[in-house]
Parts: sequence; C-alpha cells; structure tokens
Amino acid sequence: MTSADERQDIPEDAMRRLAEMRPGQTTALFTSDLSVNEFLLVREAGFRPLGMVLGSSIYHVGFQFGRWNRNQELETLSNAMYHARELAMTRMEAEADVLGADGIVGVRLEIEFKEFGNDLAEFIAIGTAVKADEPGSWRNNQNKPFTSDLSGQDFWTLIQSGYAPLGMVMGSCVYHIAHQRFWQAVGNIGQNVEIPQFTEALYDARELAMSRMQAEAESFHAEGIVGVQLLSLPHRWGGHTTEFFAIGTAIRPLRADHEISKPQLVLPLVDT
Amino acid sequence: MAGEEGSWLPDAARDRLARFDASGLRTSLLPVPGAVGVESVGLTPIGEVMGCIVQYIGFVGGANANFGMGTWGFMPVSYRPYVDAMYHGYDTALARMTTEAAAMGADGVIGVRLTRTALGQSNQEFVALGTAVRARSTRRPRSLFTAALPGQDVAKLMHAGWVPSRIAIGLAVEAQYLDWNSRNQMSMLSGNTEVNAPTELITRARHFARDTFGRHARGMHADGAIVSRVQLRSWEQEANNATLLCAESEVFGTAIARFHTGHRPPSNALTIMPLRAPNGPIVKRQS
Repeated sequence: MTSADERQDIPEDAMRRLAEMRPGQTTALFTSDLSVNEFLLVREAGFRPLGMVLGSSIYHVGFQFGRWNRNQELETLSNAMYHARELAMTRMEAEADVLGADGIVGVRLEIEFKEFGNDLAEFIAIGTAVKADEPGSWRNNQNKPFTSDLSGQDFWTLIQSGYAPLGMVMGSCVYHIAHQRFWQAVGNIGQNVEIPQFTEALYDARELAMSRMQAEAESFHAEGIVGVQLLSLPHRWGGHTTEFFAIGTAIRPLRADHEISKPQLVLPLVDT
Repeated sequence: MAGEEGSWLPDAARDRLARFDASGLRTSLLPVPGAVGVESVGLTPIGEVMGCIVQYIGFVGGANANFGMGTWGFMPVSYRPYVDAMYHGYDTALARMTTEAAAMGADGVIGVRLTRTALGQSNQEFVALGTAVRARSTRRPRSLFTAALPGQDVAKLMHAGWVPSRIAIGLAVEAQYLDWNSRNQMSMLSGNTEVNAPTELITRARHFARDTFGRHARGMHADGAIVSRVQLRSWEQEANNATLLCAESEVFGTAIARFHTGHRPPSNALTIMPLRAPNGPIVKRQS
C-alpha cells in the first residue's frame, strides 16, 4: 500500500504526463482486451501486452442425421465444430506471430449464429498478445506463441506458482442421443427409473470430448491441464443432438517447487 | 473532434453550470468504492457531467449511393457517410461533456458511459455521461482526460503508474454482395465448410474498426489502450436484386499513458482472498 507522502506525487506526476502529451507524436502503442485488473497483473507477472489479436471464421454448419433410436457420434459435425474453432485460433495465433508475441492470454472462444443465411455460425477467438520482459523460451514445442484462456488473475497465480501455459487444448464431440423405443417409454410411465441408454450416451460423449482434449495436451508434452470447462452446447440442433466441448489450458512446470505466498484474508465491506 | 459544435451548450446545460457556480454543491455518479479509490490517487469528484446530441442520419451511403461504379459484382460498398455521422455523434457528445466539465474547473471525466439509442426511424441519440474530477496538483493537463473506466480502475491504474488520457473509438461499416461461391457454400447440400465472403467481410470490418481505434489512441501520444467493448452487428439486405451482406464493428476503450519512469511501479498488488461465497456461478472474467 502507499504511504501518505507517496500519494502526493501521484496526481502531480500524472498531470505532468498529460500536460506533455501532444497530438501527432507517434509512439509504439499497444492495445489490450484485458480488464484493468488483468492488465496490471499481467504486467506484474513480467509480461507486456502488445496488442489485441483476433481470428474469426464464418462456418456453414449443416446437419447430419443420426439414426432415430441409436446413440452415436455425428463425426461430420464433430469435425466441423473442431475445424471451425481451429481456423479461428490459428488466425489469432498468426496475428500474434506478426506482433512477435511470446503468448496470448485471456483468450475467449465464442460461437455466434449469424443473421445471414441459415446454419451460419461465426467462430471467434479474441485475446491479448503478450511478450515477456525478460527473454526466455515461452513458445511451445510447435514454435507457436502459447495460448491460454485463463483470466489475468489466474495467469498471474500460475506464473507465481512456477507454471507456464503451453496452449489451449480442446476436444469436441457432437452426439446424437437415441430416442426411447415406444414400449420402453410406455413401460416407464409412473415409475422413477434410470434410463440406461441416456446415461450411457452422456458418459460416452463426454469421454470422447475429454479424451480428445487430453490427446492434444499430450502432443504438447504438457504436465497437466488447468481450468478445464466441460460444456454441453445444444446449439440449434434440437433436443437429441448436443455438442460436448472440453477446453482447458495445458501447462508445463517452470521450476521444481510450486509454493506461493499465503494470501491475506479480508472481509470486504460491500453487500454484493 | 467537433470544435465549434462541441463548445456549444444548450440553455439547460448553461443553467446547470450557473447553479453549480452559485451553490458549489458537488455531485458524483461514482459508487462509494470508486469515489474512495479516486480520492486515494488525488482526484476529487466535483460533479456529474453530460453531453448529448440527437442526429438525423438520412444518408447512409451504401448500395443506393452509386459512387460512379457499377454496384453489381463483388465491389465493396461504401458506408462512409454513415460512419462519419456516427463519429460526429460520439465526438460531439464527448466534446459537450468535456466542455461542461472544463467550465467546472475539472481536469478529467471518469466512468464515462457512452450510449447510442435509436429514436424513431432515422434519429439517433448519442449520450456521454460521466463524473468530472479535479486533481490535487499544481499542473493541469493540456486538455481534459476522459476514461470509460470506473473509479476503482482509474485508481488502480494510477497507483501502478498509468494515467488515462482519452476515450478512443473505432467504427467501421463494411458491405459486400453475396457471390455465387459463398451462396453454394451456404446451401443445404454443401455440408460443413467455411464460407468465404462473410468471413472476409467481418474480418475486414473488425480490422478497420481496430485500426481506427489504434490510430485514434496513437494520435494522442498515448502508450497503450485498454479495450472495454468490441461489438459486431451483421445483417443482410436486398439491394439491386441481390443480397448485400453488411457488418458494423465498434471498438471502445481508453487510451492510457505511463507516467512512472522507474523500474518498480509506485505500488504493488496485494494478494488477498475475500471471505465471501461466490455469488452464482464462478465468474471467469471481470467486466
């Protein structure tokens, strides 16, 4: 925290800087998609933001018909969903590469269905390209800048505890869950029973998505994956076809010990 | 920036300023943590300020404006008049707000909310609303600083050696006719593929918006810019018996400048863990 004397200097120095600013002078400007908290923490972790980077792809995601009464993966759709995201990510990485970045933090990967045409979805990846103050080998084993969907707060904590992100890893599985056969549905009326075929389907689909994500992490020679989210996205395919999407950040150790200083506990005096 | 028009204030605003002069009553739109935060870096809130303009946007350019070229084909369509009108709206609202703040003797306006609302058919209202602050300093900036950031964020930035300089805006509207190749890629039978024309269109719209945003911020000799909002709106319309795809991209943020020259910032972040249960699902990103 600042003492009273230091505080005196802050407005004085800040206003002097503003007074010196003239339009038209050129500087190496960075842009950052991070919030102020994240921006300051990323700086404190020893990284400089270089610029906001993004990649996007508008993809026609058609439909693939699954057998009405069978649990099955719809491979064509799985591949499409994966490919579209990969296109967006690769384009974002290419932008970061041009800026000479070591990595991209705070990546958001979003899907938005578009007004033009049916079945058109935009896959977009937005993040902030960063460069380490001290030179080091931050790029991953594919010689690409690392990517991470962790917030600035999580990124700071990760670096503090001696880990570095390698890249975002993801797995997608679009699954068609079988409808119940007529007699089976009739037999269940008035009873509370497990529907084994639904349970199996959900297990199967999640397992596929997660194993694909893990396979990606293994190709990075990662020690582990943090911040994994396992999402079920119904998109626009009706009740029985769902995408299971697993995404996380693969990490590697920077040093042997992973101790961090114990945080202080505070009781905030706000009512939210 | 709108020079003359920005310095013009309607009667109601001038009355408000006269009342402020007479009573000396200080008002603020900042919540308590924001107000305490900016006080800690030597900024005193002195009043809420507003700038507003209602514009009639009758001519948008686009497909119906033949700029000497054939409108059929893959020719990009210009929406320059529309973009210019939007810039004029935002700039004038901001300029009127800072004029009001300057008349109160402020050094800057923080927590600025910039909104655009459609009133009726072709009228657009642009409003800039913020809190004017005065620095406890002997120096005065050449022109007022503006920040779209809340008070807490301004305080944190200044503690770390950065000062907000100006709100930067990037706008772009791009349009292009749907070509046959893309039409095929979008048909039912085509399966799952990337669709080229719309991808290029939105990439271009975002690129131009980010580019102007960067130039806007760089023009002030700032060191960086914190993006607070990236928006994209897309639609299709019929023009000259063809489908015109349109994309509008807006990027808002605050340009910041570094005043701390030493190696260590004036203050460091303290790692604390709040003793409260997270409300609802754990929020991944703050604002």
